[in-house]
Parts: sequence; structure tokens; C-alpha cells
Amino acid sequence: MIACVAVVGHQNNPLYLQSFTEADDALKLHHIVHCSLDVIDERVNNPKKSGTTLNEAFLGLLYPTENYKIYGYLTNTKVKFILVTTDLDVKDADVRNFFRKFHLAYVDAVSNPFHVPGKKITSRTFAERVSNIVNTFWLNTAV
Amino acid sequence: MGREVSESCVDSLVIEMVSAYCNRFYASKPELAAPRIEAIGYQVGHQLSERYTIERPRFSDHLEAIKFICKDFWSELFKKQIDNLKTNHRGTFVLQDNRFRWLTRVSIDPSPANTDLSQEPSLATDESKTAQATSMHLYFPCGIIRGALSNLGIPCAVSADISNLPACSFVVRIKA
Repeated sequence: MIACVAVVGHQNNPLYLQSFTEADDALKLHHIVHCSLDVIDERVNNPKKSGTTLNEAFLGLLYPTENYKIYGYLTNTKVKFILVTTDLDVKDADVRNFFRKFHLAYVDAVSNPFHVPGKKITSRTFAERVSNIVNTFWLNTAV
Repeated sequence: MGREVSESCVDSLVIEMVSAYCNRFYASKPELAAPRIEAIGYQVGHQLSERYTIERPRFSDHLEAIKFICKDFWSELFKKQIDNLKTNHRGTFVLQDNRFRWLTRVSIDPSPANTDLSQEPSLATDESKTAQATSMHLYFPCGIIRGALSNLGIPCAVSADISNLPACSFVVRIKA
């Protein structure tokens, strides 16, 4: 069950944050996303030879908290995607698939000539596409 | 999501954009047209670099990013790669395209074999006028390169050199 997805720009400025559970506090999710930015910076600046390859976009599981798992993805343009999920057994391949579709939706949203780079993404189409991606993710893992 | 237009439409649009900015929007202040066109190119390059770097591993250094511009980015835009890349290893790169697509329709003034002395001053101004008109068409691609590199985290300044048409060289100076 995905709790929230976030897009953070290359200056660590938030571009998009969408939560999918009513129960949880939005502030807590903001806080989790913020902490995960530090983990991403650490991972990118000190590459560990074991595990992730040096230049891959998908960063994998960033850090587990007691209720959530946080996955990260860093694009070539230093834009970070963060996925917070409450599922305890999520397959890596599913998350990679999710980020791939999410990346495509993000690129389409940013290619909008009325979008100002660096400002928040306000496109309704993007929000709809993200909801669709989240719903299909949930269906896939529920099986 | 996948609508396409013909290449000639894009070429004509670029030519008309330069003409509109130089002759209509900024007719009284021509020196303002160039930075405006370059800014449009910057935004286009910014957005295109987002799209063309999907599914690619991250670049480890500046040279990798420039090579990406020369090969994949240029072939997505113009269906060919940059023909020659030179660098001084101190932050300056020269990207040479031997047949730049947006300049193939620009006429090249043949240099006359015998110049009449009385005509020389007007010839010189004619040449500089054509050079200036041609250079207006280069602000857009310079902006595209600058936008793409800035999005990859490399602030730079890009200028173009058209000493022998239709070959065109783009000089990229990385800001330290």
C-alpha cells in the first residue's frame, strides 16, 4: 500500500508530494521524505561497491522505518523520486517498474511549455497519471 | 501522447521564429531579439534533456555529458551526430557539425574573383549583413545546448562560429 510519492528537484526543493492514505499525518510524510534526501546524498557521494552500481538511476531501499519502506530514484538531471510504502514485502522489480512509469509521467509533465522549471508541478494530468500508476502497483502486489 | 509533425514543419517554424523576433517583435530594438531567442532555446534544451536521458545511467563527468550531447542528443534532434569534438581539457569544447540542418537553407555568398575597388566598401557591408543575419539563426541551437547542459548540472556559455557554411561549430565554455 503506497503511502506517498514525492518529486524533489536538484536543489532539494519539493516539486510534487502526493499522499494516498488519509490516516497518516501529511507532516510526518513530509518529514520522512526530507530525511530520505540525506540518505540519497550519502548514497550518491559515497558509492558502495557492493549493491547498487555506481551510475544507476534506481537507488533501491533507502532506509526502513518501523512502519514504512522508502525507495529512491535519481535521474540524470538530479531530480529525485521518493516512494514511501507500507507494504512489508515489496518486490524490487515492482518498484523499478513503478519508477519507470513515474519517470515517463514526470518527463511529460515537465515538457509542458507552461511549466516553470523549479516550481511545483500543478498539472492535473500528471496527478491523474500518478494515481493510475499507484493503483496498478497496488493491484499487482495484492495478487 | 505520440503525435508527430514533419521535419520540414519544424525547420520552417525555426526560420519563422527568428524572422518574427528580428523583424516584427523587436524591430526597433534588434539587440533584444537574440537573448530572447536564446532563452527559448534554453527552455527547449532543458526539457529535451529530461526526455532524452530517461533509461540512461548517470554521467560520471563533464566529458560524458558532452559526449551524450554529441551523440544521442544530436541524433534525436537532427538524425545525425556531431562530426568532430575538440577540447582543450580545461573546460572548453568545440562541437563541429559539418552540415548543420538548420543552416542548409541559408545561401552562401560566393566570393567574387575580381573585386572592383569602388565596390569594396559595399561588399564588406553586404558580407557582414549576411553574416549577421545567419548568426541570428544560431542563437536557438546555442540555447538548446546550454539548456541541456545546465539541466545535467554543467553551467556553461555556448557560442557559435560560422566561418565555413554549412559547417557550424559550437564552442562550449564550462563555467568553473
